[in-house]
Amino acid sequence: MRRSAGAGDLLGAYRPGTSSMHAAPLGLKAGVLVVLSVAVLALRSPVLLALAAVLVLTAYAAAGLLRESWVPLRLMWPVLVLLGVFQWWASGVEAAVMVTGNIAVCVTAARLLTLTTAPQELLDGLVSLARPLRPLGADPERFGLTLALMLRSIPFLLGSARDVRESAMARGLERNPRALTVPVVIRAVAYARQTGDALAARGIGERSETKVAKGNR
Amino acid sequence: MKNTSADAPRPARGTGGSGSTGTGNGARLRARRRWTSADLSLIAVFAALTAVFSILPGVPLGAGVPITLQTLAVMLTGMLLGPGRGAAAVGLFLLAGLAGLPVFSGFRGGPGVLAGPSAGYLLSFPVAAAVVGLLAGLVLRRTRRDRTVLLFAAALATSFAVVHPAGIAGLMLNGHLSFPAALAVDMAFWPGDVIKNLLAAVVAVSVFKAFPSMASPVRRSR
Repeated sequence: MRRSAGAGDLLGAYRPGTSSMHAAPLGLKAGVLVVLSVAVLALRSPVLLALAAVLVLTAYAAAGLLRESWVPLRLMWPVLVLLGVFQWWASGVEAAVMVTGNIAVCVTAARLLTLTTAPQELLDGLVSLARPLRPLGADPERFGLTLALMLRSIPFLLGSARDVRESAMARGLERNPRALTVPVVIRAVAYARQTGDALAARGIGERSETKVAKGNR
Repeated sequence: MKNTSADAPRPARGTGGSGSTGTGNGARLRARRRWTSADLSLIAVFAALTAVFSILPGVPLGAGVPITLQTLAVMLTGMLLGPGRGAAAVGLFLLAGLAGLPVFSGFRGGPGVLAGPSAGYLLSFPVAAAVVGLLAGLVLRRTRRDRTVLLFAAALATSFAVVHPAGIAGLMLNGHLSFPAALAVDMAFWPGDVIKNLLAAVVAVSVFKAFPSMASPVRRSR
């Protein structure tokens, strides 16, 4: 499942499994997530919020990931506490519960999608979203290619940022923002040019019209 | 691909810019709407750069919206790639994050961020890249002097015309904050933002010096 060590770490939210939540088609999961989030956020009803919370927890249990359900809260609690206290002070307890509850439920529900769907499937799903836009000029193949290029650039750029930071430290420049950013960006541009030339040399990513034009010359 | 060294020699036609796009005006007009593999590659790498600058440790400040180099990367992408490719790169970053890659600050990702208080800022980024790309194009076409100051002004104008209003709207909608409260939260970002916009202009000028073709209007109009 891991594309490479770096990208694998980056795509780390996925928990492989065989539950019904894992097996459900991505379109269904995404659809339910969107409907649930829009309903909760738009209707702002306490009953609906409670129902949604129960539904999300049931889904986590069905996926065998109940222990994971509080992870988003662990990450977000400072924001939620701040918001809750402010809302309590500004408009009362009910508003505080509704505002923080809505955010918590939506974020937790969304995380279940990333927990139970393989990253590659998520990305394929993203590319397939471009397919209906084809009449408008969208090109799913080139979109997929660009997305894949982006993913394989991230480990390179992370490594490059680390190298630059280390060499800046060696020169005592670790607090100089210019020394930390300029080389990273220049390397990124050089890397992009190399990749672009490599693609062009193999005729990948060029539109078919361009190829024909080149052939005619 | 095995070429990962950034110091490898640049290809001979790399600085030409318009080498493969044809000579006549007509060809240039048609090329305007069509991205070559070089453009796709720049879009992909700058989407990745935005992700990397978002992931790298930042300073937590304000109501849980951490300050990272994210906005620096957004502004830089717009300035360097121009409006079309810049917005595409930042849009790709946003889509990848919304689809669940942990590329937003604090290793967050997934559609859940749309319900969070920082949604407005995130959604404004592609627009900001396009606007700053347009403004930077004007600067680059008009003048060679004072580019740092003018690009800084372009980034600052974009930030206050696009990013902050959208961010405040997001705080009001998702956090149910009143306008004064949302404005107060947003103001916590102002000092950092000014510094990051200045840095973006400085970095952009350095990159334009290293790769002069990136400042040429023919390439940027794609």
